[in-house]
Formats: sequence, C-alpha cells, structure tokens
Amino acid sequence: MKRISMSLLLLIASVLGSSTLQAHTPLFDCFDNGDETLTCEGGFSDGASASGVGVRMVDGQGKVLEQGKLDAKGAITFKRPKGEFSVVFEAGAEHALTVLGDDIV
Amino acid sequence: MKLKLAPLLLGALLGTASFQATAHFLVVYTPQTALVRPAELPFHLVFTHAFHGGPTMAMAKPQRFYYAKRSAPGEKIEEVDLSQHLEAIEWASENGPVSAWKATIPRNTVRSLGDYQIVVEPTPYLEEAEGLYIQQFAKVMVNVGGVPGNWNETLGLPAEIHALNKTYANWTGGVFRGVVLGDGIPMPYTQVEVEYLNHALDVDNNRFAEAAAIDAPHPSLEAMVILTNADGEFSFTLPKAGWWGFAALSVGPQTEYEGKPLSQDAILWVQATDLPQ
Repeated sequence: MKRISMSLLLLIASVLGSSTLQAHTPLFDCFDNGDETLTCEGGFSDGASASGVGVRMVDGQGKVLEQGKLDAKGAITFKRPKGEFSVVFEAGAEHALTVLGDDIV
Repeated sequence: MKLKLAPLLLGALLGTASFQATAHFLVVYTPQTALVRPAELPFHLVFTHAFHGGPTMAMAKPQRFYYAKRSAPGEKIEEVDLSQHLEAIEWASENGPVSAWKATIPRNTVRSLGDYQIVVEPTPYLEEAEGLYIQQFAKVMVNVGGVPGNWNETLGLPAEIHALNKTYANWTGGVFRGVVLGDGIPMPYTQVEVEYLNHALDVDNNRFAEAAAIDAPHPSLEAMVILTNADGEFSFTLPKAGWWGFAALSVGPQTEYEGKPLSQDAILWVQATDLPQ
C-alpha cells in the first residue's frame, strides 16, 4: 500500500511539474535610467521568479561586455555602453530573449 | 434548501436596498490596460452613470489615489502614491460642467514589468436626492510586459471586488469572475451592478461622446443586476469589447458619514478585447 501511495505521489508530481514547464514563457525588457545606466527585468508568464537567471550584455560582434544574474526582484542594472549592443536573458536554450540596445529607452 | 435560501436572498436585497443609490459608477479610465512595454499612463476619473454617459456628478479630490504592486514573488506589496499627478478638470454634464480629475502617470513611475493595481479611494459624495453619501472604492489594473503580479490579491479595502480573472486579459465572450468583499469578508447573495462604458470618453473636450455603442432595448439591459452566490462569487460573460464596470453597493462596514447614511461600494473595471481577425 505504501508503494502504491508513493507511486501515485510521484506520478502527480511529475504531471504537475510538466504542466508547469509547458506554461512557462520567459518575458524580458530593459529601460534606460537616464543616468548612463540601464535596468533589465525578467520574469515568466506563470508568475515564477526569475531570480538567479543569467543576463549578458554583448556588443555588435557578440563579445560579452558584462554579465550577471537577476536579483530577488528579477532585475539587474548595467552601465550603458557606447555603440551597438544588446542584452540577452538566458532562460534556457529555448528561452533566450534579446533586447537590442536601440530599443532601450 | 429553497426555504433557507429565500429569506437569505430577500434579506440581502432588503438589507442593501435601503442604502443603495444605483447606477452610479466611478469611472477610472485609461485607454489600454495590457501594455507590451512601459508607457505614460493617462487617467480620467469621472463619477457618472456609465451606461448613459451621465448625468455626471461633481467629484471632490480623492482621499487616496495610488497603485499597489508586488515587484516579484516573495517581495512585499508596495503602495505608491499617485495623488501628486491629479489635476482638476471640468467635465461636461447635462446640467453644466462638474468637477472631475485627470492624471498622467509618467513612464518612469510604471516602467517595471508586472501588475499595477490602481486604486481610487474617493471622498464621499452627497447624493442629495437620496439623502445619503456614496463612496466607491474603485480599482483598475494595468499590466506591463505580460509578467503577472498581484492581480489576484486583495488590498484590504473596506469594499472590494477580488478578481478571479486578470482584468486586463479577457477576450470578448470570455467569462469574468470575482468575489465581493465587505471589510474583507465574502458577501453572499449581494447585488452586483454591471454596466458597459457605453459612451466613449472624449478626453480632448472633457465629455462623453454623444453616440452610444449599445442601444439597449430594455432598462434591465442597461444597468444589469446579478447576484453573488453563497460564497460571494459572481461571474459574467463579457459580450462586447471595451470596458465593463462591476459595482457592489453598500458592502463596506462604515454606514454613516457626517450624520447621513453612507454607502461604501466596490468598483472594478474590466477590459474586454476582440480576437484579432
């Protein structure tokens, strides 16, 4: 009886886990703070926290300029670079999102 | 069961009828509540009869105008005062201009991703014809970027509608659900008025457009009345794109103000969006 109960629990957990993953769309945006810095925020469509998710800033050639992880509020602040750049939200291989520097106002 | 329900229902109706001034709606209008990216938010606060676009009542400066936002799961809800953005305006009404309010919330104030519950706690309005004061605690929600936040959390208002659906994410024809709360307690078998914002706001001229979107064939389809169930819940299918107002009347705990009866009402505005063709 104990084995059956444990199996049932595992089945429920795996079903719940998979449905959570399916509904999990990453969302990301950045804004200029007006003081030569910019702040980027990330989150997920199901309300899950993005704290700890990696973010990197790259130049036009793909060279990493800065990188870090989102804080408890799902935010990170960078110094705004000169020239062409973009910011990448690294929420998994299928979940990377990029905001172009020109769109950060 | 029917014998038990009937007195409850009758009691609920009689208990509220003595205080209610029906069809009044505090309109808290902003053109779009589901924003892909942060933007300046224009608001108009007009105390009126929503379906008919008037008559409009004079509105004193709200006691409070603010938003409540939770920046991330586990973080505390933050309340940000918006009252410094309020600007008095004159709004055209049948008997001449009356006072209303507008506010332009700067982009920097609402630039973070997530939900903003915008709340208006008005100064009680004396409805002289009925000899009572009306105070409508009104909420509208704005979302930036699609990240959900505190849309389904209550704020502890004396009179409040607890949204069970996001107010900014409803297709036309979808069902909206909510719970009426009085002092935080679900209110069973309570009337909820439902009205369509039937006259577009002409914000350049501070008036409602004369043309109505819906020509209702019967009064019961103008200010529609539904009841909450035994758990204080209601549901309503949104039949047309635009703004739908829900008002639960006289559900707040304070029943007297300056020697007269007071109706503390809960207002929630819901935006319905047509499916793209």
